[in-house]
Amino acid sequence: MRLPHIGLTLRIVGVLVVLGVAVFPLYWMFVTALSGDSELFAAKARLVPDLSQFGVFIDALAEGKAATWLRNSLVIAAGTTVLSIGLGIPLGYALSRFSFRGKVLMTVVLLFTQMLPEALMVVPLFALFRRFDLLDSLGGLILVNSAFVLPIVALILKGAFDGLPREIEESARVDGARPLTVLTRINVPLIAPSLAASAVIAFFHAWNEYVFAVTFIFTPGMQPASVGIAGFIGELGTPIQTVMAVSFLFTAPAVVFYLFVQKYVVAGMTAGAVKG
Amino acid sequence: MTALEQQQLPGPRTGTRRRGSPLGSKWTPYFFLAPAALFILVFQVVPLAQEVFLSFTRTSLLNPTHSTWVGLDNYTRIFGDAEFRRTLLITLIYVVVCVVAAVGTGLAVALLLNKGFRGRGVARALVTIPWAAPGIAVALIAIWMLNPDYGIVNRFLDTVGLGVPGGAILDSPRYALPAILVTTIWQLFPFTSVVLLSALQAVPSHLTEAAMMDGAGRWSTFRAVTWQSIKPTVGLLALLMTIWSLRRFELIWLMTKGGPVGATETLVIDLYSQAFDSKQLGSAAAVGMVGVVVSLIVIAGSRFVARAAEREAG
Repeated sequence: MRLPHIGLTLRIVGVLVVLGVAVFPLYWMFVTALSGDSELFAAKARLVPDLSQFGVFIDALAEGKAATWLRNSLVIAAGTTVLSIGLGIPLGYALSRFSFRGKVLMTVVLLFTQMLPEALMVVPLFALFRRFDLLDSLGGLILVNSAFVLPIVALILKGAFDGLPREIEESARVDGARPLTVLTRINVPLIAPSLAASAVIAFFHAWNEYVFAVTFIFTPGMQPASVGIAGFIGELGTPIQTVMAVSFLFTAPAVVFYLFVQKYVVAGMTAGAVKG
Repeated sequence: MTALEQQQLPGPRTGTRRRGSPLGSKWTPYFFLAPAALFILVFQVVPLAQEVFLSFTRTSLLNPTHSTWVGLDNYTRIFGDAEFRRTLLITLIYVVVCVVAAVGTGLAVALLLNKGFRGRGVARALVTIPWAAPGIAVALIAIWMLNPDYGIVNRFLDTVGLGVPGGAILDSPRYALPAILVTTIWQLFPFTSVVLLSALQAVPSHLTEAAMMDGAGRWSTFRAVTWQSIKPTVGLLALLMTIWSLRRFELIWLMTKGGPVGATETLVIDLYSQAFDSKQLGSAAAVGMVGVVVSLIVIAGSRFVARAAEREAG
């Protein structure tokens, strides 16, 4: 009866190694942010965070630039979430509940656009934005980010609507409710978990987006955090602790939110792709 | 519309439809999807069409409204260019290694987490972290960890005697691509792990138990039962990883900009530097189209394989 014990020990060691690999880089970001100068460049690196240095986070925010970046990112991400969910709910509902001419085409377009790289679309969109005076504005980024995240949001919500029984809305329709009322009052509340997952995906798609933001924004005060933080690369003036502190503040919300809804996000993302 | 077609319509039938209201007629679905469709048309379909057009022209970033039609010149030129052929090769290596390693690691981690143990929920959540982290932050921490003088990776490699001479991993034509691959796979494996874990949990346990009872070993049970039931998920993940790897930009751009001397230049990086460094919008668009066509071929191929597998199974 010794073998099972060996197997169990190996499994525990394996799990710990995987967790270590998964967590270490972000842990290292945190440790670096909380290290003193001498410790960073000493022969032996500090491996545990020095919590007495915690002020580095407050300094990073108080210094102003980072706070502005994060605020801009928040505006872009919130706007993208509202717009893409607002467009994605009716689109997902139409794809789930009706059969109509052009449905297959619409589905194919939704799947196809997911493989287009931002770097490819940035040139024509730049021209479009210049014509409509959308360059150098947070609103312009909200529009383009919504367009890029809309396909996945719509397909996740379509999947969620597919999973709802039709009987409830049919009886509401028999009672004379209009389709729009049925959708907003009956169906939408029932798909809350998928809505939360789509909202998280849309929010952090925009929060993380870099290519459009770095190309379309010129005014430093309008930059989101993705651009601001990327600007630290190759620049030597900012202490590495500040760089890591700002990066950590940028990363932490994404990690926390994904942890809450990861189950639905994973289910939704694979469901959105399965139909391909 | 015939009566038969109406029978197939989901939702309420004609009797409950409110006549005179545009919301309850055959226009209803269009009313729901019009805003989104318009949006996708303006921000995706039209720009893509413009890129297709640009790929047949000579256009400078400095004077983008003036295009000269050159037919297939951009395409013949890039395919005749040895550097572009190298870009294709690097893209192929990058994609294949990402797919194999991300799916393979994901399967190993999923098998590890599949057995119930105390704290499995926590482990599952912690494993997700790399996937949730923004690409920009991942690039930044990777650059810091790979810093030639003070990076923890070099310190560690030196300690175990595997140090890279000079330590400048990202400046080395030999080690830059492996470093980017490791970083990419680190960010991808949580996704494949979690997806495969839920596929494993859907494997009917009575089947594996029956196989074990019949005297099948662990490996043959895995092959005969578990693998058969997770195969579609593996296929789907391989497809997703391929498409994501073909379009990945920020991580590579921020870590190496495609360098040193083109050692990490994938199609998307090439496209971006052609457009913004060389200011050649036409050849940039042609490079982009090659990427799009490759993705389409992969998708079509995967559908073909999936159909063949279905036929074989049925």
